[in-house]
Amino acid sequence: MVAVSGAEITRRPAPRSALRAGGIAAVAPLAAVFGGAAAAALAAVGATALAVGVYLGRRDAVDGGALVAFAGVVLAGVNDAPALPVLLGTVATVLAWDVGGNALSLGAQLGREADTSRVESLHALAGAAVGVTAAVVGFALFAVGPTRQPVTTLFVLLLGATLLVVALNR
Amino acid sequence: MASDSTRASGDGRMADPAADARAGDDAAGATGESGARAEATVRSATTRHTNRWVGIAGLAFLTAGIGVFVRSRPLVLAAVVIVGYLAYANVFDDPSVSLAVGRRLDERAPDPGDEIRVTVTVENTGDAVLPDLRVIDQVPEALEVVAGPARTATALRPGARMTFSYTVVARRGEYRFDGLTVLARDFSGSVERELDLSTAAETVTVVSPLDGTTAVPLAPLTSPYTGRVETDSGGEGVEFYAVREYRHGDPLSRIDWNRFARERSLSTLEFREERMATVVLVLDLRAEAFLQAGEDGRHAVDREIDAAGRLFRSLLGTGDRVGIAAFAPADVWLPPGAGKTHRARARHLLATHPALSPTPPERDVYTRTQLRDLETRLSEETQILFLSPMPDPVSAYVVRSLHTRGHPVTVVSPDPTRTDTPGHLYEHLERSNRLNDLRTSGVRVLDWADDESLAETLERGRRRWSL
Repeated sequence: MVAVSGAEITRRPAPRSALRAGGIAAVAPLAAVFGGAAAAALAAVGATALAVGVYLGRRDAVDGGALVAFAGVVLAGVNDAPALPVLLGTVATVLAWDVGGNALSLGAQLGREADTSRVESLHALAGAAVGVTAAVVGFALFAVGPTRQPVTTLFVLLLGATLLVVALNR
Repeated sequence: MASDSTRASGDGRMADPAADARAGDDAAGATGESGARAEATVRSATTRHTNRWVGIAGLAFLTAGIGVFVRSRPLVLAAVVIVGYLAYANVFDDPSVSLAVGRRLDERAPDPGDEIRVTVTVENTGDAVLPDLRVIDQVPEALEVVAGPARTATALRPGARMTFSYTVVARRGEYRFDGLTVLARDFSGSVERELDLSTAAETVTVVSPLDGTTAVPLAPLTSPYTGRVETDSGGEGVEFYAVREYRHGDPLSRIDWNRFARERSLSTLEFREERMATVVLVLDLRAEAFLQAGEDGRHAVDREIDAAGRLFRSLLGTGDRVGIAAFAPADVWLPPGAGKTHRARARHLLATHPALSPTPPERDVYTRTQLRDLETRLSEETQILFLSPMPDPVSAYVVRSLHTRGHPVTVVSPDPTRTDTPGHLYEHLERSNRLNDLRTSGVRVLDWADDESLAETLERGRRRWSL
């Protein structure tokens, strides 16, 4: 005999969420190809782990997968990949991680059966907009900048950090 | 707003099509007019940081560091992108949530087993966009959601509304739908506000029909009133019982005149007396009794209460006086009685008494105190029908205690055990030993298997005891 219990819900993200996160993450290995096969392979492993992690509702797999995918992108950058693929890979990795994490929380709070695609799409769009804006601003400064010294980019980074501090102290 | 549930779906949409279009999220077959949407009051609210962007700052500076080290400008730019996300994660204030909530049930008084469709409408009455709103309806615990989860997520502009619906299966009892849990996040999801909202209450009352069943076998302890329980004494009645010598004062109609003609001696015919019984149905509603055979299906207490309804109706129908008592966290007592009002009272008690809820009680039951109270309430000629899965020695103690005080006890015990694993088999044997011990001390025990109907069980008992 069993003690009486209530109905259960499947506390996992919907399969569609895993597909969405995996689709975004798949951009990372494509971008990393510009930095060699090893970088692309590393990014692909990470992207796969991320998608599987979302499907299974495993936060550690999502975090780890995103880190590995990003390591692939960084490796591509170290191997002298052009700026555009590196930026694209970065945006894709962070966005996939963000979308995956959001899907995990939706899965945990609402379960697999709930209809969440609208919220998830909006979340992904907002995240993409942020990434693209940041990339475009950075890329514009990179392209238009007067000298080709790393100092310039460091300056840009500093500017970004300043923006952050302003945002934090609002 | 109650009765027009089916009609509302048509004309409601026409009443305010703009609002529906704005909401854009009525995939669940919303109706525009979903009753009065009232501003929900906040019972409790907490704001927390989800910390989901933690570590991203470190990642940004690590990337920038590698970029500077290998003199790769693209990598430093990548760090700029990550810093952009860092700002995104921190730029938003706590979401301020102001919602109006309406809820509609398509059935207010269903029968057990019917499906009730619940439609919930949530409207953003604040002036801020809610980009990530997760809504969980607080379905009464005992009701099982069978279609469409009672949860959804959406984004709502100011003034927009959304509707979702789900289906629950009605179970005996009275239920209130009056709460909604809302989780609102900002765009980046770094701040989450959880609200417990109190909404206008919708109640549903599910009353099981009191079906009669086959006659309940009762012990021969009866009241002085004529009824249907066959006693072991001769007198007025229908069925032949004995012949005895004529005594002065015997009615002429009962003298055996044939015998007088044959043997010239007077003798009197006696018939089996049929009397009315007073029965109290005692329900075991302690948390220990909430057991079920498998993962799904009805649990023992549900079967008990269902059986109590049937037994009550049946006993009342055969002219006995019936009452109801229970071992429960709250006082349950319906004194023995008869008649239509009494039946209605019992039906209401069985359906809506809070102690008879289909979920296990959280409070303990003080069995000894309740047993003492019950004994003072029972009149001398009362017999007991004890409904319990007999899960523990306490239930057996209750039976013995009532039995030794001269109240014949019949145990009707829904069997929640199985024999598929050694553990289950052990529980099964333990329980059947308990039942057998009771049988040897003169208690009538009806073991009611999971796949057997109550009528079959009663019939089995009637055949055994009439011998």
